[in-house]
Amino acid sequence: MKRLFLLSILLTSPVLAQIQPEPTGRIESLPETYPAHWVLLQDGAFFHMSNGKVIVVDADSDESSSRVKGMFNSSFIAQFYQARSRPEMYIAETFYSRGTRGERTDVITVYDKRTLAPTGEVVIPAKRISGMPTNYHLQAVDDEKLLLAYNFTPATSVSVVDIVNRKFLGEIPIPGCSLVYPMAGRAFASLCTDGTMMSVQLDGDGNQASMSRTEVFFDANNDPLMEKAAMIDGVAYFPTFLGRVVPVDLNGDEPQVGDEWSLLGDGDGDDGWRPGGIQVTGTDAEGRLYVLMHPEGYEGSHKDPGVEVWVFDIDSERRVDRIALELPAITFGLTRDDNPLLLTTNINLEVDVYDVESGEYLRTLGETSAQTPFLIHGAH
Amino acid sequence: MKWLDGWLDKSAETTTRGIAQRTSRRGFLGKIAGAVVGGAATVPLLPVARAQDNPAPQESGDENSCEYWRYCAIDGFLCGCCGGSMNSCPPGTEMSPITWIGTCENPVDGKSYIISYNDCCGKSSCGNCLCQRNEGDRPVYNPRVANDLNWCLGTSSAMYHCSTAIVIGTALDE
Repeated sequence: MKRLFLLSILLTSPVLAQIQPEPTGRIESLPETYPAHWVLLQDGAFFHMSNGKVIVVDADSDESSSRVKGMFNSSFIAQFYQARSRPEMYIAETFYSRGTRGERTDVITVYDKRTLAPTGEVVIPAKRISGMPTNYHLQAVDDEKLLLAYNFTPATSVSVVDIVNRKFLGEIPIPGCSLVYPMAGRAFASLCTDGTMMSVQLDGDGNQASMSRTEVFFDANNDPLMEKAAMIDGVAYFPTFLGRVVPVDLNGDEPQVGDEWSLLGDGDGDDGWRPGGIQVTGTDAEGRLYVLMHPEGYEGSHKDPGVEVWVFDIDSERRVDRIALELPAITFGLTRDDNPLLLTTNINLEVDVYDVESGEYLRTLGETSAQTPFLIHGAH
Repeated sequence: MKWLDGWLDKSAETTTRGIAQRTSRRGFLGKIAGAVVGGAATVPLLPVARAQDNPAPQESGDENSCEYWRYCAIDGFLCGCCGGSMNSCPPGTEMSPITWIGTCENPVDGKSYIISYNDCCGKSSCGNCLCQRNEGDRPVYNPRVANDLNWCLGTSSAMYHCSTAIVIGTALDE
């Protein structure tokens, strides 16, 4: 009977094909333009700073085992810039010849979006800022021909790099001012301790051609501008500690300070709502302004986790939506498409995904290997 | 709205904030709390000079707790949890000559002291006892009071390891 049973199995089973030998050395590659719901998690690796990384993740995926698409390294709380006009990404990073000691070398490393492999580097002065990442430590101007890296020694300056020809051009001192906000053409602006903004026009060789300063328009101590602005159509929208918004138009030859308005509606002030977090602002394809908010604000709460993301129409200067977060968050980012996802780093340092249209929490992106994802970038 | 109720609940808020303080970030550099907050003290600005010779303050509490009085403006890993102490660096590190200071009130004697938060540098992150208190912190364009900056500057290596909290004198009354 047993023999008959085995025979029947053999007769009825399909013939199994033998696994053919496979080639070795095969390496995956990525598309030149990433799908709209892919994101880049900038992991500052706070507990082992020489081993930072940027991780490419599919935020739509419910499969934790396959949502990671690749990664590339970034040494010592590095800065990151993602080009829009060519399939490249740039890291401003620092190396020591003996790991944590020895000779210091700062470089701009060029990564190919398709291979996530380094394709070039430019050595820059060993002065680039190390500190909590922001979007305004490393920026590009002049149709992304020039890359600008902010230096802090604590003297402040900007390293100018011809990133197309992979060449360091020079260093522009910006005494009393900090950070790099891209302006139209071959120019940048910086925020200054005295409550002004300076702008620097560059010549074709990357040297300073001219410089200008605005009038004093903010107080660096009392209700100061948060440096973590959202750039919307060339206008930088700076929230303040107490919830004002100060727009500065960077489309002209000099920064033009616009009329301020308030993030707070009726009753919001009574509840003590304030902006706060590591990355506090964001924008989407429609040009709306997003701000991470927390209630019961106090002196020193400007980096506390936010519990809601508020969405504003910048023309009417009115709030059009508020997205309640599943867990308080310290930073957030948005995807680039018309149906954007909102991504947050929650207080457990996990990345949560929300649908902006519905405000619905969708998933938590586990197993991305990101330990301290300080910034989240929608992919291009 | 469950989470919002939780947030607004005082105990939950404290818990949440505590989690954030432990896990969110070092934020790197501290602040000159008294000067910025407008407290009752006037403090000298950087670079720090040693103030009057004072006897060691009488103090009490857990030196390796973020809530300890000296850490009112600290932002980083406590050196006391890393092989050093609240006023010394762990073996093999280098103390930063450039520092940030705060003004903290000692609850034992009610006096305000100037605290110098010198970083210890040259090794990778200690990783223990991460504390962050942002009172008086300001954006990085106001660097002397910005804690998002790494002040391991002027050392042979910029690698940040941990932060001390050294009493350098009593704050002067206004």
